[in-house]
Amino acid sequence: MTGRRFARLAWLGALLAAGIASPVCAAAVDELLKRYATEGAGNFSAAEGEQFWDRAVIDAKTGEPRKCSLCHTTDLRRTGKHAKTGKVIEPMAPSVNPKRLTDVKDIEKWFGRNCKWTLGRECTPQEKGNVLVMIRGR
Amino acid sequence: MHAATASDAIGSRRVRVWDLPTRWFHWLLVAAFAAQWFTQDDARLLDFHVFAGYAIGCLLLFRVLWGFAGTRYARFASFAFGPRQGLHHLLEMLAGRHERHLGHNPAGSWSIFGLLALGAATVVTGLLTLGGAKQLGPLRGWLGYARGDTIGVVHKYLAWSMLALVALHLLGVLLASRAERENLALSMLSGTKIAPGSFHGVGAVAPVALAMLLAAAAGAWFYFRGYAAATPGQPYLPFKMAPLAQDATWNKECGGCHVAYHPSILPARSWETLLREQHRHFGEDLDLDDETVQALHDFAIAHGAESHATPLAWKIDSTTPAAAIPLRVTETHYWKHRHAELNAADWEKTKRFACDGCHLDAREGTFLPGAIRVGMAAPAAEKPR
Repeated sequence: MTGRRFARLAWLGALLAAGIASPVCAAAVDELLKRYATEGAGNFSAAEGEQFWDRAVIDAKTGEPRKCSLCHTTDLRRTGKHAKTGKVIEPMAPSVNPKRLTDVKDIEKWFGRNCKWTLGRECTPQEKGNVLVMIRGR
Repeated sequence: MHAATASDAIGSRRVRVWDLPTRWFHWLLVAAFAAQWFTQDDARLLDFHVFAGYAIGCLLLFRVLWGFAGTRYARFASFAFGPRQGLHHLLEMLAGRHERHLGHNPAGSWSIFGLLALGAATVVTGLLTLGGAKQLGPLRGWLGYARGDTIGVVHKYLAWSMLALVALHLLGVLLASRAERENLALSMLSGTKIAPGSFHGVGAVAPVALAMLLAAAAGAWFYFRGYAAATPGQPYLPFKMAPLAQDATWNKECGGCHVAYHPSILPARSWETLLREQHRHFGEDLDLDDETVQALHDFAIAHGAESHATPLAWKIDSTTPAAAIPLRVTETHYWKHRHAELNAADWEKTKRFACDGCHLDAREGTFLPGAIRVGMAAPAAEKPR
């Protein structure tokens, strides 16, 4: 009895958290999507974002395959692990980690740093938009 | 003096010569000295070393009191021989003419006075070393790091001298035992020696011995009780210092990818270089904006190793050549020196993690002795902050 009640409460809590988080999250993502649109991108697709997330790129220097999911895993609701330092990376999905996608500056910083390491180049506005739309839905 | 030559009839019955407190003092001192010896030079065991030091200090204090208040043969007055008598006894003994004493003989008495004095000096210099070189313990701050290190060398020489005197003492006991045909080490256990009928033994004074044991147990409990209360998530750190300066930008930016190592682990020039080269930070472009770099720079310069905020900071600062710019703490001479004895298996246990794989206080940046569990801190590092 109590177990089921707890599960229901937890669901309500999660929904409530998502409800509170989504407007903030939506604001930051919307602002960035608008910005990417002015840079020529558009028609952002979560499906393409998902493909991009798990697509390996061979690093020119080390020869090792790199991809977003290497550290963040493909299940964005779970914790990831930094490939080099081993540091635990908290879940990307805003549904379990409401702090995600709330700060425009932070999002751009991590895109800048992680795209360069993973792809060896900066991400295009289209790629960033696709990924943001994908993450927002998790 | 109650002396008799070995050729005399030395007696036929056993009488108690050493009371219980004297014997327990002796063997507790042996145990504490051995503990000291096997915990020296190992930062992981410094709290055990320090506890054994307190124990020795208390034992010596007790022995001095007992030298006035104890039973007949425990009193200093019963073996207050002059240095010339001591030397004479030693030479006679070496020449095969041993003069039997029921209590301490003149040569033995000098090894006792020597051990008491060396022990006291070792305890005092140990506390000064702890207070200076580590800035810990009751004498924290009495000396600076450098002075503390120098006293540490004296401490070490005193301990070695004590060990040498212990060796001489053992040799003396061996020679006297052979000359007297009586196992004197065993006498220090049983308390009895063979004596002529005219000698009266001393009392056991068991209550005092019991009080000693209770005091030792209470002291051990008081000192180590933190270990009993520790849990895997809340390990016990025997040494504590005031928290180091923190910076929100530092914790956020550095802590985003790895343990936000406190700036005190590297010289300011190292941080300057790391921040200047932020676009190639160990294979990654940090892409930090100027404002963030400035904030990180200011914090690092103010709290670099030169600040001597921790014993580690002082060591890094004082052992890194001015021309060297280590970009990782593992490049420093001091780090290599301190980790040289770690074997491959230990590294296997820890290498998935950073300093926090073993140093329980790596995140706080204090890197104190006693807060080290090789490979044991890993589960905590797995947990998100």
